[in-house]
Amino acid sequence: MSVRLLALIPVTVAISLALSAAVDAVALPLFLDTTGTILATALAGPVVGIAVGVLTSAVNTLRNPTFWPFVVVQIIVALYAGFATRAGLFRSLKTAVPTGLGLGVIASLTSTPISYFVFGCTTTGGIALTTALGRALGLPPLGACFFGSFVSDFGDKAVTFALVAAVLHALPRRTAARFPLALRAMGAT
Amino acid sequence: MSALHPFSLLAIAAALPAFAWILPAPGGGLATATLALVLALVPDVRAGARVVRVAVLTAAPFWLFLLLLHDLPTTVAMGLRITTMVASFAWLVAALPPDRLVEAMVARGWSLTLAYLFAATLSAVPVLKARARRIVEAQRCRGLSPRGSVANRLRALRALALPLVLSALHEVDERALALETRGMGSGVHRTPLAAPPDRPLERAARWALLLLCLAAVIWRLA
Amino acid sequence: MRTLGLDDVTFWYPATANPALENITLDVGPGDIVALVGRGGAGASTLLLVAAGLAPRVTGGRLAGTVSRGARAGIVLPTPWTQLSGMAFTVWDEVAFGPANLGWPGHAITRHVDHALERLEIVPLASRDPATLSGGELQRVIIAGILAMDPDLVLLDEPTAELDPEGARAVWRLVRSLAGEGKAVLLATSDVDALPDVADRIVWLEQGSVRAMGEPSLLAEDALCEAGLGTTVADLWRAAALPAPYPLTVVDAVQRWR
Repeated sequence: MSVRLLALIPVTVAISLALSAAVDAVALPLFLDTTGTILATALAGPVVGIAVGVLTSAVNTLRNPTFWPFVVVQIIVALYAGFATRAGLFRSLKTAVPTGLGLGVIASLTSTPISYFVFGCTTTGGIALTTALGRALGLPPLGACFFGSFVSDFGDKAVTFALVAAVLHALPRRTAARFPLALRAMGAT
Repeated sequence: MSALHPFSLLAIAAALPAFAWILPAPGGGLATATLALVLALVPDVRAGARVVRVAVLTAAPFWLFLLLLHDLPTTVAMGLRITTMVASFAWLVAALPPDRLVEAMVARGWSLTLAYLFAATLSAVPVLKARARRIVEAQRCRGLSPRGSVANRLRALRALALPLVLSALHEVDERALALETRGMGSGVHRTPLAAPPDRPLERAARWALLLLCLAAVIWRLA
Repeated sequence: MRTLGLDDVTFWYPATANPALENITLDVGPGDIVALVGRGGAGASTLLLVAAGLAPRVTGGRLAGTVSRGARAGIVLPTPWTQLSGMAFTVWDEVAFGPANLGWPGHAITRHVDHALERLEIVPLASRDPATLSGGELQRVIIAGILAMDPDLVLLDEPTAELDPEGARAVWRLVRSLAGEGKAVLLATSDVDALPDVADRIVWLEQGSVRAMGEPSLLAEDALCEAGLGTTVADLWRAAALPAPYPLTVVDAVQRWR
């Protein structure tokens, strides 16, 4: 791996973790903790994206060890973003947002079994509460758990995809051209 | 405890949660959770108390929600496992300074790449977090408020996030140039600066721990 | 003998049609101090990257012409905080990052790092965490990190930008002493007032090309003053409509007044 892509990884991990400050400031129920993973994938491909995802989970784990099992979700996100990059789905918000919604479904399908079997669906406060709501609505335990994950992931991934598309389009062409896949992700091959 | 080789500390922190899940509940979980908490208190009670407090504060909400969603036996079984995991990681973070781990990785001939990714990420995160806070402060002064429609808030989020991400991406270039000029990626084997000592006994103990884990899995599956 | 030779070098960044450097020919030998001056975007930073062997290897892009380097180069870039290795948790380890990457034996690393810390007058910072340093302290740590690798060609991009006047004077003294040891120094700076006492040669860049090259007295010429690149004394003399040739330094001006 070139030193330039190596230098990209810590920066994009830090982006994922620093964005929580922006989310708190506007009081929206989002995480944006896969932004770095998706951005790195769109710039440099899924291998770099997976490295970013694994490291993001690792750093989160230092703060709260219960994050570690969800590293699987980060890897799935990188792979999915890799397909989106090849297909040029970051070319506009019209293509990026539906792609993000699709990822919301896949990410919650991945995180549900982890959340259910490892933590009894008690991961972050928000997910536990929506899960309790799902139970109150009469859903079976696993269904309620999926409902909880889905509610929190759906919007989050759509906003993340939109944000990454906005970043790619805001990059000067000269800068974008220095990353192997950026132009392709925007459908400009 | 911090005199142990970094890999030994990692092995212990990984083995405890593994045993918590492998051994039958609730006895296994109780034993591992107790062991993890005692481990934190062994070298220095005052520093250990801080670790225990972090672990308890992190684990407490899980217990609450488990109780809300499950019956008592499940709550106890899962709660003890989660507590083990939280406590052993909290202990690891307190006992293992990142620079020792980096040096151990480099000394062991792990690629410099891996050590770089680990260390550089740890140092980049606080820098960008501080920058994000400054951007938020600056926008607050210009009238950003967490109210209004979702569309407005999403627009505000974009105004906060874009400058942060773009400025960080622009720095990637200079970071890469600086690393190159300082011999990163030269392909030469890096000289370890202060390799932590690794005793043969510790190495044997780490293997024993791994075998013990495997044995426990086989015993449970049989 | 030359440490760095550029022969008719033209360089394009990726995805750009206009070259960032055009037909540059330049020689820097041991003990030479050559200063690049020019307005922002004139190509001084790019020229340093080419001289360091980082463009196009790391930046991407395309290069025409030939670059010959007789020895190892080390470059100090303009913003200090992006140049921290991120792998060191003390200043000593940060300065040792480069030498360790070169695979030197431990005792050689220790000797070069200690010497570099002394030269930059940052021995008291040795056990500090680099993340807690001020901009000026960081700038010195970065310069020390390059010097510890014992490069024969030292490239400096705005080395005094983060420093107070006293710190800047110390860096200029250091540059002179490096040249005294036979190292070749190529630098870009907007601190033109320091150059008459530091540089042997001035290269004036404009839009990627060499507009003029010569003795430091170039910095008192009308065309450079017009471009905003003359020394303060020369600028004042010109603004006061006093007759050319303009004095280069305060000492020159005082002599002219007498």
